[in-house]
Amino acid sequence: MTKKAIPQVFRETAAKYGPRVAMRKKEYGLWHDISWNDYRQTVSTISAALISMGFEPGDSAAIIGDNCPEWIQIDMGIQCAAGVAVGVYSTNAWQQVSYVVENSGASFFFVEDEEQLDKWLKFRDEALGLKKIIVWDMEGLNAFNDPMVMSYDDFLETGRRFLETRPRLLEDRMDRVKPEDVSMLVYTSGTTGDPKGAMLTHKNLIWMGRAITTDNPMYDTDEVLSFLPLCHVFEQLFSMMGHIVHGYTVNFTESLDTVNDNMVEVSPTVGYAVPRIWEKYYSAIYIKMSDASWFKRMAFKMALGVGKKRSVLKMSFQPVPFWLEGVYALAGLAVFRKLKKRMGFDRLRVAYSGAAPISPDVLLFFQSIGVNLIEGYGQTEGTGVTCISRVGKLKFGYVGPPLTGIEVKIADDGEILVKSPGVFKGYFKNPEATAETIKDGWLYSGDVGEIDEDGFLKITDRKKDIIVTAGGKNITPQYIENKLKFSPYINDAVVIGDQRKYLTSLIMIDEDTVAKFAQENKCQFSTYKDMTRHPDIIDLIDKEIGKANESVSRVEQIKKFTILPKKLYEEDGEMTPTMKVKRKFVHEAFSDLIEGMY
Amino acid sequence: MKTLLEIKNIETYYDLIYAIRGVSLSVEQGTITTILGNNGAGKSTILKTVMGLIDDQPDKGVIEFDGKRIDGMDTEDIVRLGVSYVPEGREVFEELTVKENLMMGAYSRKDRAGIKDDFKRALRHFPALGDRLNQLAGTMSGGEQQMLAIGRALMSRPTLLFLDEPSLGLSPILVKKIFKIITDIRDEGVTIVLVEQNARMALSISDFGLILENGRFVMKGDSKTLMEDNDVKEFYLGLRCEESAKGYQRWKRKKRWR
Repeated sequence: MTKKAIPQVFRETAAKYGPRVAMRKKEYGLWHDISWNDYRQTVSTISAALISMGFEPGDSAAIIGDNCPEWIQIDMGIQCAAGVAVGVYSTNAWQQVSYVVENSGASFFFVEDEEQLDKWLKFRDEALGLKKIIVWDMEGLNAFNDPMVMSYDDFLETGRRFLETRPRLLEDRMDRVKPEDVSMLVYTSGTTGDPKGAMLTHKNLIWMGRAITTDNPMYDTDEVLSFLPLCHVFEQLFSMMGHIVHGYTVNFTESLDTVNDNMVEVSPTVGYAVPRIWEKYYSAIYIKMSDASWFKRMAFKMALGVGKKRSVLKMSFQPVPFWLEGVYALAGLAVFRKLKKRMGFDRLRVAYSGAAPISPDVLLFFQSIGVNLIEGYGQTEGTGVTCISRVGKLKFGYVGPPLTGIEVKIADDGEILVKSPGVFKGYFKNPEATAETIKDGWLYSGDVGEIDEDGFLKITDRKKDIIVTAGGKNITPQYIENKLKFSPYINDAVVIGDQRKYLTSLIMIDEDTVAKFAQENKCQFSTYKDMTRHPDIIDLIDKEIGKANESVSRVEQIKKFTILPKKLYEEDGEMTPTMKVKRKFVHEAFSDLIEGMY
Repeated sequence: MKTLLEIKNIETYYDLIYAIRGVSLSVEQGTITTILGNNGAGKSTILKTVMGLIDDQPDKGVIEFDGKRIDGMDTEDIVRLGVSYVPEGREVFEELTVKENLMMGAYSRKDRAGIKDDFKRALRHFPALGDRLNQLAGTMSGGEQQMLAIGRALMSRPTLLFLDEPSLGLSPILVKKIFKIITDIRDEGVTIVLVEQNARMALSISDFGLILENGRFVMKGDSKTLMEDNDVKEFYLGLRCEESAKGYQRWKRKKRWR
């Protein structure tokens, strides 16, 4: 089944689907189609250009930019030239970009635009391994001249000429790629220390591309929307691995600010996003509903009640009474259908949340309104997915059984161990870290969890995040944080309490919902900072924390909290590109606020 | 210091457009406060809302001037209380002479002696107008029209003066001149709220500054602090926090207050 490498699978799929739409991209307000033929042609040209410029099998090339068809085409072009593709987060500062480019030994660097090019200019003197920089959006660079820099158009022209003269060379190169070869380096976000490049092989990717759709099928008629960072394995799963295996259509958003609008236009059949985005949708629905008329509010409340009742039964594998199914169907017709249509969720067959733990209550909420949101668990080192629930078979608070073909066991200390064809080859140029992560063929995940009698996995926390209080109690902050995050007013929370007498929390408020609350209750504020200090807002958050405290044990209760006076940004290193708060950073940057609570 | 104008949680709609999304602001007596923001952020809308120039607005919120609630009042009554407004693009009466224009500013007043004093005061601030009292306003240059518009606003003897982009379309020398006069007016005790695109100039003469984006304030502070802020530098003062190695740069860093 996995005898083929990516270039061969890609070639077959492209030949099979030919004129059908492979990708769509919105530009200046219009959606443009890219067929499988176009995709294939562009990829061949890219590969040919690379080969003509001396790119050898096993060489690596880096890509930086926001999601767009070019990104994927270049990614595929590198792999078809038997190379290793390395994605760099477009939000990275130049120092981080420099690290990844140098560490991966990339000889070509594809950059999106002027902004990204400027990053290279900052470290060009150190990155001596680079042969050429190729820019695919030359806006503002017409006057710029540098022998190292080439425009994407010129690059493609080189490839076209090469293809005309030596057409066989590329096909030969594609044939020679073996499943065991490394196809991409995925740099882990690196919450501690320098990022590490996980080596994923062609076999890993092809296997995963098939496996994710074995348990929850996907078809060539599916539509997905691509907006998570492409250098992250979660986005690669759907924009690349699953795409070339199944031949569905990938839609690229116009920009990151237009995700909501594009979601409505495309109305994907399969959705995927990080928890922060689902939480944001949840808050948005909450706001919309509190703005609606009395009648609509009541209707929504009742419908949600019915939906919850049904979902709770379903999520504990109990039969749903016939009458409840009937009432739920009515609620769906009367309330949820319209709501889902407005968000672009009306065609969603299944939606995934991953890359960070989602609050089980948020998941239940989406299930209740008829959005089939499913949580997946995994890590880059296992090519993305380890466990995932099946459509219609979810369990509250569990991430589901292992993907078919994956073995999971729990070590004596509770650590989750994984064995599967998706387990990576190791960290690039880092045998020590590899030896710590893969032992006897088992991948040590660093997460702690348990498996129940149905074979469902429950994640407790990251091993290194577990808090031991001064009283010697082991506490998993994630569990409490997820309770807090369920409040529509709380965007994010970091629980603190290691070696302390009691637990405290730093709270990031949700600007939209809190501002709305402030307006309705006449709390005056002018800026975000003012809002975080307003006594009424502090009072509001206090009540929300009180609610969360009710459902946890006494030692897990938050005794004090502080609202962070600023929003957190990826560019400032405060959040990971998948919108997880960097704990270590928060601990350091706000240590005075933390100390103030003890 | 006394708070002269207090805006509490106002929300304003332009037909269906939700232009001001919850804004609170207090202006202290004797200061210059600058509101900065992109086109369409809602800067002028705030001034117009306070002046009662948008029908049935603010939709929500309270506006107090000198302790008295003024939202919902007619514009002429607000002017009578001592609030004056110089609209963007000056909007002088082109077919009237300079003198007639100035007198229109005192339309709601009855005290002849006071009007005479203020007429003199306006000419003292803008001597150029004194030479052209009988010229039609429409035939004057942009700078002169701006001076006339401010002069006209002073004729109602305001304690609070709103200036909407006084530097629009003026030469740099004229801009300097106008801003100098604005500080003179402040020194006479008139409180000023300035809406400006010329951020550098506006912040240099004002005491406080606020930045408005999409109908909400995203930043505030005294003008000196704002001028030191990296985001303000990049987006409003045209300074780069990090120079590009190639010597020029078109892209801007992402705003951190979003």
